[in-house]
Amino acid sequence: MNCADCRDNFIASVEGLLDHDQSLQCRAHLDICPQCRAEYEAMSRLQQCLIARGQAAAGVRIVEPVMRRVRAEQFKPERETLMSKLLKHRWGFGLGAAAGAAAILAVVLFSMPNAQAQALAVMTKGAQAVAKLTSIHLRGQLRTLPQDNFSLIMPDQDFVTIELWKQFEPDFKWRVEKPGRVAVMDGQSTLLFIKPDFGYKVPQATPSAFDTQWLHEMANLNKTLKTELTAIKARGWPVTLAQEQGADGKAKSVITVEAKSGLGADDYLHNKFFSTADTRRVYTFDNQSELLESVQIYLHAPAGDQLVFKLDEIDCNQPIDPSVFQLQLPASVSMGGAMPMLPDNEKYAAMTSEQAARALFDACAREDWTEAAKFFNPLTDTMKQYLGGLQVVSLGTHTTLSNGAEIVPYEITLKNGETKKWSVGFKRDPATRRWFVDGGI
Amino acid sequence: MDLTDKEYVERCRDGHPEDFGLLVARYQKSVFAYLASRVENFPQAEEAAQESFVRAFLSLRKLRKPESFYSWLLGIASRVAKEQFRAELHRRRDSEAAETMMTSATGPAEDYPLEEAMAVLPENHRQVILLRYYEGLSCQEVATRLAMPLGTVTKTLSRAYVQLRHELEARDFRESGEQIVNQEEQP
Repeated sequence: MNCADCRDNFIASVEGLLDHDQSLQCRAHLDICPQCRAEYEAMSRLQQCLIARGQAAAGVRIVEPVMRRVRAEQFKPERETLMSKLLKHRWGFGLGAAAGAAAILAVVLFSMPNAQAQALAVMTKGAQAVAKLTSIHLRGQLRTLPQDNFSLIMPDQDFVTIELWKQFEPDFKWRVEKPGRVAVMDGQSTLLFIKPDFGYKVPQATPSAFDTQWLHEMANLNKTLKTELTAIKARGWPVTLAQEQGADGKAKSVITVEAKSGLGADDYLHNKFFSTADTRRVYTFDNQSELLESVQIYLHAPAGDQLVFKLDEIDCNQPIDPSVFQLQLPASVSMGGAMPMLPDNEKYAAMTSEQAARALFDACAREDWTEAAKFFNPLTDTMKQYLGGLQVVSLGTHTTLSNGAEIVPYEITLKNGETKKWSVGFKRDPATRRWFVDGGI
Repeated sequence: MDLTDKEYVERCRDGHPEDFGLLVARYQKSVFAYLASRVENFPQAEEAAQESFVRAFLSLRKLRKPESFYSWLLGIASRVAKEQFRAELHRRRDSEAAETMMTSATGPAEDYPLEEAMAVLPENHRQVILLRYYEGLSCQEVATRLAMPLGTVTKTLSRAYVQLRHELEARDFRESGEQIVNQEEQP
């Protein structure tokens, strides 16, 4: 292979698209040609830089919040423009946000029936009451599995406790915890621990990670209420207000919002997560303090409405013990991280998610953990014990989700005789292009 | 088939504001990555990215060259980052943190200007880079998405790499002068 041929193959090489022989020829040329090697290394550095930038932004999804604001701006009459100009240099969770919510409300109030306007006024006062958050602690109950995804709603499961601690000052840190799963951002990095032996570390501070975004959004009470206000107007969600006496004898304002996901009942994601569910959200505010005291979320399901989430402890601006943002992992934990490039990586990168599911389960059936580990990040001892010696009953065809992940339905018989029918979720690792298991096992 | 930036901008101006969401979807990650290197943390970057897009929407009629939407958007994002930096300074004016900010930098950090360099790429080249790296698609998936042969995707990537490298080197040279040469000569 000469210099021109080799350079023609650079992209295919860094993208893992060369076959084995071509790859060997290219590498052989790079070994003897310092100019091509320097070019190749520069190209690889740029690729790594692009990969890193993409990974840093992987969880960013701002289309909806931006479009909500765009719609709200469209509804604003001209006289609001000056206010938006006055406010646009204010940031974060401070008075600017509260005043912004008030500005939207001011517009909304003019065009709504009186009862709805009163309900929205209560929500806006609630938003203003928490305009300056330095910390927040939420404690609630969610129908889900203790170890599974933080955002998965499973109406047929019992309630498990889910908590969030979030500190905005002096340093931004957070922790989300369920009985079998913990995620901690300590200001430097973000760590996920799934009990008993799975760990994964993101080497950056993140605003949210590992499917905790919905709870972070709820913790940003001001923004949550502002978002609800905008959606009520822009999407026509029904909202009602009732006055009740609370268990403490005090008067409460109870606001009910009927939220629609816009997804069809046959959509796989429908009613699986709060952002994709049709729900009734009930917010209770104390009339005297104007603070939000509790939230209940009911899932609209064919069998009837069911309470799936209840948030009844909301502590604002209380000091949080620094140890909350520290997480010591047991020595037995297997840590996930950057997936290694395999010698025969192309073979795995070329697989469909269905082929990956077949290869994964076949490897588990024969307890070939070297092979099975290629589909996990990481493969833990608990998983080996659980899946070793399984038998595949059937595998279905994949479905692609809106986040690019793919799920493959499967039915397996475990070594203990138990049959499991579920869907395994796969994501592609950006660097190696290999599928890895992202849930559903 | 995806429309070009110019076509989306014109549709937004012609009474289809919802199409702006497609421009947000196209550039949300690169704008976030651009801002993440300029503001203090990821939540601020996300907030600033949202603000940038909203301001872009509100100023869309002032955009003289709709085909330059991306570079214009980055200009807005840069101003938002600077405003955010000043607001943060103002908020912390009495604290030690403000002193640290004042002494450590005179403005937002100017990190590796990858996204700015991407703004000079032809739009079809930038699209391939965005889909491959910011959306995490494989080359084959990019080919399917853009309805082009796999070979065209790799050739486009190859040209985009070369252009990006030239642009980044030119920026380094412009901004650092001889300094970059001296650094490369160090062991």
